[in-house]
Amino acid sequence: MLLIQTNAIADALNSSEWVFPIAECFHITAFAWSIGLIAAVDYRLLGFGIQHSKPSEVLRATAPWTLLGLAVVLLSGPLLFLSDARMYLHNPSFVFKMYALALAIIFNYTIHRKIAQSDTASPGVRVVVAVVSLALWISVVFGGLFIAFA
Amino acid sequence: MLLSFVQWLQFTGFFTALRGSAYAYPIVMSLHMVGIALFGGMVMLTDLRLLGWSMRKHSIADVVNQFRVPKRWGLLLTVTCGFLMFGSKAEEYYYNAFFRTKLILLTLVLVQELVFYRSVYADPAALDRAPAIPVNAKLAAALSLLLWTSIACCGRGIGYIEPPLDKIHAQMLPHSGYEGEIALCFSSRPTP
Repeated sequence: MLLIQTNAIADALNSSEWVFPIAECFHITAFAWSIGLIAAVDYRLLGFGIQHSKPSEVLRATAPWTLLGLAVVLLSGPLLFLSDARMYLHNPSFVFKMYALALAIIFNYTIHRKIAQSDTASPGVRVVVAVVSLALWISVVFGGLFIAFA
Repeated sequence: MLLSFVQWLQFTGFFTALRGSAYAYPIVMSLHMVGIALFGGMVMLTDLRLLGWSMRKHSIADVVNQFRVPKRWGLLLTVTCGFLMFGSKAEEYYYNAFFRTKLILLTLVLVQELVFYRSVYADPAALDRAPAIPVNAKLAAALSLLLWTSIACCGRGIGYIEPPLDKIHAQMLPHSGYEGEIALCFSSRPTP
């Protein structure tokens, strides 16, 4: 039912050969942008990156830009998906990516944010949170790329 | 000359093996993307600071200097993986218009870096001492944003060009189905 309804959207998206590549360019630029900025906070938690500032300051400075990047990613992504929803839903890498993405976003705006905001967290906790954050986002990237190879 | 070099390169034992491996190639591509995120994100962060749009509470010197080393690691990962991807299908890349454009843009980035090195990147503390961010620094940042974004888009464009099958001697074709295998389509050394 859902797939039948998306066919009309897919036709519109596929009517021009430029829609998909342009959406992809936005998707790639914006994911590099947002994941890179999250990595900047992670680097700070790991003890390199901007050491003259507290983690909370790095988080505060990057958070609006990270959100902007994620917004572009989450707008361009569904466009790519809707161009061939059936294929994506049957693609194991895509399914993996969606789970990893959900986990990464939830982690980013709960535990990650809390630890980055509290400048008193112990070094061990900081390192674990940064490593989990990086691992989650890297698995999202892998999942995305493997869609083409699954 | 260049063509015979890329043909030699892709038929070295290492790149032949990489091309034939089902998982190595997508893993290298994924790491290329991870590198892009780690490097590209930091580049944007630096550029936004130079433009005065973000991180204004942090000095330019802090942002530029302290992300320099992480940025280099990200770039190293991206370039290494990029070269591995190129080597496995060197001949195909040689004919690819987006790949050529990408190389030209990468050269322009190098030129940008050299042109603005003395006035912007060598002494970022001087930019902090200036009453306002100098136009030079803003121009450097805007060019950097434009060039790196175009490079990422050209990189994506590479995959959209069909290789000239009559001219190339080794090609990878993904199998249909979910095995994730990559078949060597036809792989013969070019006759001199």
